Amino acid sequence: MRIKVNKDKCSGCHLCEMVCSLFHLGIINTEKSAIRIHKDDLDTSLNTPVLCRQCKEMKCFNGEKVIHPQERKKFIWNKTRAEHCPFDALSVLGEEAFHCDLCSRNPQCVKVCTPGAIQVIK
Amino acid sequence: MVLERKIAFIDLNKNSVEVTSIPLVLRHKFLGGRGINMYLLSKFYRPDLDPLSPENPLIFGTGLLTGTLGLGSRMNITAKSPESGHLGDSNMGGDFGAELVKAGLSHLVIKGKSQKPVYLLIRNRKVEIRDTQKLWGKDTVETQKIIRQESGDEKIQVASIGPAGENLVRFSAIRTGMKNSAGRTGMGAVMGSKNLKAVAVRGTLDITISDPKNYLNYYLRTMKKLMNSKWVQSLGRFGTPLLFQYANAIGFLSIRNNQLTSIGDQGYAIEAEALEPFSTGMLSCFGCPAHCRHRFSIEEGKYKGIKGEGPEYASIGSLGSKLGNLDLQNIISATELCNRYGLDTISTGSYMAWAMELFQRGIIDQETTEIPLNWGDGEGIHQLIHHIARRKGFGNILAEGAFAKKNFGESSKDYLLDIKNFPIEMTDERLPKSFALGMATSTRGACHMRSRPSLDILGLPEKILKKIYGGPVSGEFSSYSGKGRMIWWHEIFNAVCDALGFCRFLTVFSSPHAPQYKEFSKLIALSTGLIFTPNELKTIGERIYTLERMMLVKDGISRQDDTLPKRYFKEPIPEGPAQGEIISHKEFNKMLDEYYRLHDWDGNGIPKRENLERLGLDE
Repeated sequence: MRIKVNKDKCSGCHLCEMVCSLFHLGIINTEKSAIRIHKDDLDTSLNTPVLCRQCKEMKCFNGEKVIHPQERKKFIWNKTRAEHCPFDALSVLGEEAFHCDLCSRNPQCVKVCTPGAIQVIK
Repeated sequence: MVLERKIAFIDLNKNSVEVTSIPLVLRHKFLGGRGINMYLLSKFYRPDLDPLSPENPLIFGTGLLTGTLGLGSRMNITAKSPESGHLGDSNMGGDFGAELVKAGLSHLVIKGKSQKPVYLLIRNRKVEIRDTQKLWGKDTVETQKIIRQESGDEKIQVASIGPAGENLVRFSAIRTGMKNSAGRTGMGAVMGSKNLKAVAVRGTLDITISDPKNYLNYYLRTMKKLMNSKWVQSLGRFGTPLLFQYANAIGFLSIRNNQLTSIGDQGYAIEAEALEPFSTGMLSCFGCPAHCRHRFSIEEGKYKGIKGEGPEYASIGSLGSKLGNLDLQNIISATELCNRYGLDTISTGSYMAWAMELFQRGIIDQETTEIPLNWGDGEGIHQLIHHIARRKGFGNILAEGAFAKKNFGESSKDYLLDIKNFPIEMTDERLPKSFALGMATSTRGACHMRSRPSLDILGLPEKILKKIYGGPVSGEFSSYSGKGRMIWWHEIFNAVCDALGFCRFLTVFSSPHAPQYKEFSKLIALSTGLIFTPNELKTIGERIYTLERMMLVKDGISRQDDTLPKRYFKEPIPEGPAQGEIISHKEFNKMLDEYYRLHDWDGNGIPKRENLERLGLDE
């Protein structure tokens, strides 16, 4: 399972970021969300949602000796892994990185994406 | 919980900043946003307070639920208005309000005047006053870009003024993003008078939530219901230009300064569907599922290369049909020009329409105006916008707004259709009597956003109307019956929405099924832990509205000022779908009586002593 992005449809509302932090951390903080919207709001007005692509080959681990399926289920990672992501897909705040754990196979962000810019692919 | 959202008092005379908590009792009395803004303004408000003096406080206020999962994430900017000389207040969408909340602040009170141009940089409750000589003179979009570049942070949100605000044009806006504006009542001029170019904010703080799991579930349910409404779906596809179509078809548009109220089939040229070829997608304000805002790009022709967001119905009406201008590309370009200069598109259009009618009637001529002011002359409209923003020649006179009446002689005055020294907008209210009353009683002068009961257009069965409004209301759009009740209800309801940071379009604007007090009460409880019954929320709305009224009362405003432009009472609509419609003095007064009675104000429109005691406004 992964979440597919169709950036042309993104309205830039940030609801996905809000529900991500709320579901995982019980707070609202768009900085602490595994999905984030890159906005070009003073020029093209285009928005690009970015999040973990659930790669088969996880370069983010960079040789770490960890059990991959277990790590995939974790939301809070460290900044180093984000730095190794070839797609720069993880949000970072301070020393923490936020990784998409797919909300235990029930992604919350897609439920609030009314334009359909993010969709679950099974 | 909400106590973590604080208020910053900024004194530009002393270069000082003080950040303090907002007492819970204020949250209980006024919620936030427009509510707390009004409480703060009322502490400074006096009839002899010069709106452009350092003593006039410029107040930024986010709604109690701005930045959370609510029904929008808006904010209000409030001060005494240099445009009307009375209460000033403007509501703004976009991302700025939510960013302020993320920075741990709900409200800013900015007083004094800086010696040199400055901007405020706010990061997580730390407020820095920075010199900004090089930003002075820059347009509103350039200003935002430069501040982001300088700070190296693309997520900084900036609310800024443009050259119009710097030049103290009385109807200057404060702007954020490509299109969002605190447009009306001249808040940009207040900012300019303080030598304050911009407020920039960046926040990364947590917003704590009282009951996260139930809050998320309740929000998802509420949102789903909302998105099933035809109204929200249409808004998400066509945006507010959809409203232009309604107004033109029914006959309540302002055409050529309200000499007509519909342009019939000619309206196709500038309505929602005509905008589609330029639309490159739909956008949302922060936290909104409706995405009602167009992103546009003009790819060919005279205006090739212009891209941005909008235009909204209000700008299409004000810079288009009101001026007899049916060239959509010209309207888009004129809107962009106003946005860049930081001018309110509605007021700019209204004063230009006034000048054009004076020109048409020979009350002023080209010797005065320099530019020929002919209806529908797109070039002339552009030129005049430049001149107003730069205060050049005749533009310098129009930049004074309604205060320019003294320049053109007695015969000119009635052609400026204003209420409480503030011009009416892109509509004409002779047909919809509820709308007319709402314009007359609005606490910021002629304004549709204080009450506009768009539900009235739907012609709902009277049984449903009675259920909503708690008393008899006619379902007939042109009827006076029960419309005092309708306006009273919406004024209070809208005040609550603005205090929460909610958007009109996600509440009872055009659908009776949209969320109301009951849903508000639940969202507040689950997110903040504060408990308000639906009735308590309604009382807060009454308190806000009555407090606003009390400030107007200080200015000497009473029943005689709750009126409409003379044209509405004297000239029946000459042709079109609303032909013959006019406002009857007698019926209007009956509506006003009902309206005062429900507000518990006396027959002269002054809130009664016992009412002020009940609302805790008798200090």
